[in-house]
Amino acid sequence: MNVSLKNVSFSYTESLDDAVIRNLNFEIKSGECVVLVGESGCGKTTISKLINGLIPLYQSGTMAGDVLLGDKNTADMTLAEISRHVGSVFQNPRSQFFNIDTDSEIAFGCENLGMNPEEIRERVNRVVKEFHIEHLAGRNIFHLSGGEKQKIACASVSATDPEIFVLDEPSANLDLKTVADLAEIIKFWKSRGKTVIIVEHRIHYLREIADRICYVKDGRIAHEWTPVELESKGPEYAASLGLRCVNLKQLGEIEDARLRGRDETSVIASTLSSVIASEAKQSLKESLVFKDLHFAYNRNFPVLDISELSLPRNQITAIIGHNGAGKSTLAQVLCGLRGTWRQKRKARKYGAYLIMQDVNHQLFTESVLDEILLGMNLQDENAALEILERLNLKEYANCHPMALSGGQKQRVAIGSGVSSGREIVVFDEPTSGLDYRQMLAVSATLQKLAAGGKTLLVITHDPEFILNCCSNIIRMEHGKITEQYPLQGNQEKLVETMLNV
Amino acid sequence: MKLDPRTKLFIAVVANTILFSAPLYISLTMAALPTVLLIAERKIRFVLLFALSYVVAAFLFYQLKGQNFGLFGTFVTAPMFFLYRCMPICVLLYYVISTTKVNEFMAGMSRMHMPNKITIPLAVMIRFFPTVFDEARDIGNAMHMRGIRLFCLRTMKNPLTILEYRLIPLLVSLTKIGDELSVAATTRGLSPETRRSCMVKIGFHVQDVVVFVYCLAVVACFVIASRAKQSVVDIISALFA
Repeated sequence: MNVSLKNVSFSYTESLDDAVIRNLNFEIKSGECVVLVGESGCGKTTISKLINGLIPLYQSGTMAGDVLLGDKNTADMTLAEISRHVGSVFQNPRSQFFNIDTDSEIAFGCENLGMNPEEIRERVNRVVKEFHIEHLAGRNIFHLSGGEKQKIACASVSATDPEIFVLDEPSANLDLKTVADLAEIIKFWKSRGKTVIIVEHRIHYLREIADRICYVKDGRIAHEWTPVELESKGPEYAASLGLRCVNLKQLGEIEDARLRGRDETSVIASTLSSVIASEAKQSLKESLVFKDLHFAYNRNFPVLDISELSLPRNQITAIIGHNGAGKSTLAQVLCGLRGTWRQKRKARKYGAYLIMQDVNHQLFTESVLDEILLGMNLQDENAALEILERLNLKEYANCHPMALSGGQKQRVAIGSGVSSGREIVVFDEPTSGLDYRQMLAVSATLQKLAAGGKTLLVITHDPEFILNCCSNIIRMEHGKITEQYPLQGNQEKLVETMLNV
Repeated sequence: MKLDPRTKLFIAVVANTILFSAPLYISLTMAALPTVLLIAERKIRFVLLFALSYVVAAFLFYQLKGQNFGLFGTFVTAPMFFLYRCMPICVLLYYVISTTKVNEFMAGMSRMHMPNKITIPLAVMIRFFPTVFDEARDIGNAMHMRGIRLFCLRTMKNPLTILEYRLIPLLVSLTKIGDELSVAATTRGLSPETRRSCMVKIGFHVQDVVVFVYCLAVVACFVIASRAKQSVVDIISALFA
């Protein structure tokens, strides 16, 4: 089924003056796989909403022009009708389920179409087989990992057999192995002649699948390439447009050069900071050592089983490993959120501070300044303002934290960690769903923190980010540390292992 | 043991009425029902916890009720009363929500010719409760890290702040999740106009009949008991007149 957008403009407000999409003409042929890329806020998600009918039928705003599915105008259809033709997968695995168990979820779309029970059961069985998710059948969705949830989301959309699939940042919360599974699913749809439209920041996994990569800027398609064309232009070109890397294999080589340049400057920075730090504490140890980090829900299956963990001081250490390897549990034990009461008491003393993936959970107060003051033992306003200044948040001191953008919220959360005075700060996937520029901003903040005397631990699935700012790698598997090595000189190895986890 | 969603709805209505108005022995027989049902679902630990605290609360309440301990007595009896009256209802709610699949519930409602406009919001609620607990746990973790605990000097000094700290992020993230949920549901074709089918077969079985009879029996006891009480009151007032 063809999709065509004819002279479409859309604005989230009442006038078309500040439109997100302006006079867009865009044609997607039947059976094509199109990837929409671009910086955050460029309007690519809006385009996906135009195709799955959420605009104009769900989202309020002002629209001009026509969106045609085949020869029907979406404005004349109901969402239920559109859902027969268009299946949508969203970014947040947490909130795209209507059911509590996996089977009902896969059947949900079919039930809404009023199919008879025999056929629904047949379709559910077929989809489960096609997607190789037999082990997920009949499970409670709340007990699944992010990657598993995303597979169920794809399966349930696939069960109603629509002609068009619209995916909005489906890989944002997934590790590279699960991303590879996602790529398989998209390939499968394409082989069935389906039209697939994907809005994405990470494009490397679509390198062999996509027919076209469309670069959206200010609500228009500014460039169009085939993946091969984009790759041949080189990673610098992609980076200059704010795009993530097309081919991860190239990463190791370029970053090597970049890293050598960076190291010299960071040496200066770290000597500076160590001069300042040495005035306060004379006997600084080189690294922080933790012993006996164990945790298990069930005696026979330890989730975390580490006898010794040593973190290089004032540096950024990345933790890699696939979903379910115990990375998050390690973070929680270090922060005293899990474990025996002895572990918790110890954690309160050496204190690690966790910056969660969803920072909305850790902002409580009515202004940014209060947020910083809350964690301080002695509530010193000048010190708080200084922290805000360092995080470029000073002008927002009196704003409500919930009114800020995602990146700013994250910095407020970091600020609250800094003000708590804890030495170790742990980040849980700080760059998921970020474009290249935002990712660079996060890594700059982290480097600043490390230079300022904090020891950072970053859980991440993002090789580009690791190469940009981390200096040590810890790889975890089955709750154990399998490898620990410095990044310098091991860039290619890192990319290799991350691709093959 | 599986009950029809309509039976569960019936238990919920009956139990709510009985547990708020009946004397101890009748509400005990009523509270026994969700307990037995949960045991059948093998949620033994939860049941033990529930039974123990219920018995303790009921015992303390009836022991302390008559005596006059002043303000202190009220401070003890009030929560006990609350526990003993509300606990069974919470347990029942837990049973209904943890064992009913959303699609079964919707199928049951449509069999009762309930309009979709009522069914869909109720179904969303079933899906919403586990999400609320999930989110609340994360927020609790974040607060813990900030050193805001339920029992510490700062919160004792200003108990309202803890409510604020817990509720604001919870409400913000729940409104967001609620919105995303309804987007996901509508793009998958859920709408009040269309008629749904259901993959799971629902229908009444022996166990449903047993539960129905049990509930009706409890209601009958309640009615008879309150009549009897009424007649005693009548006789006494007649004597005095």
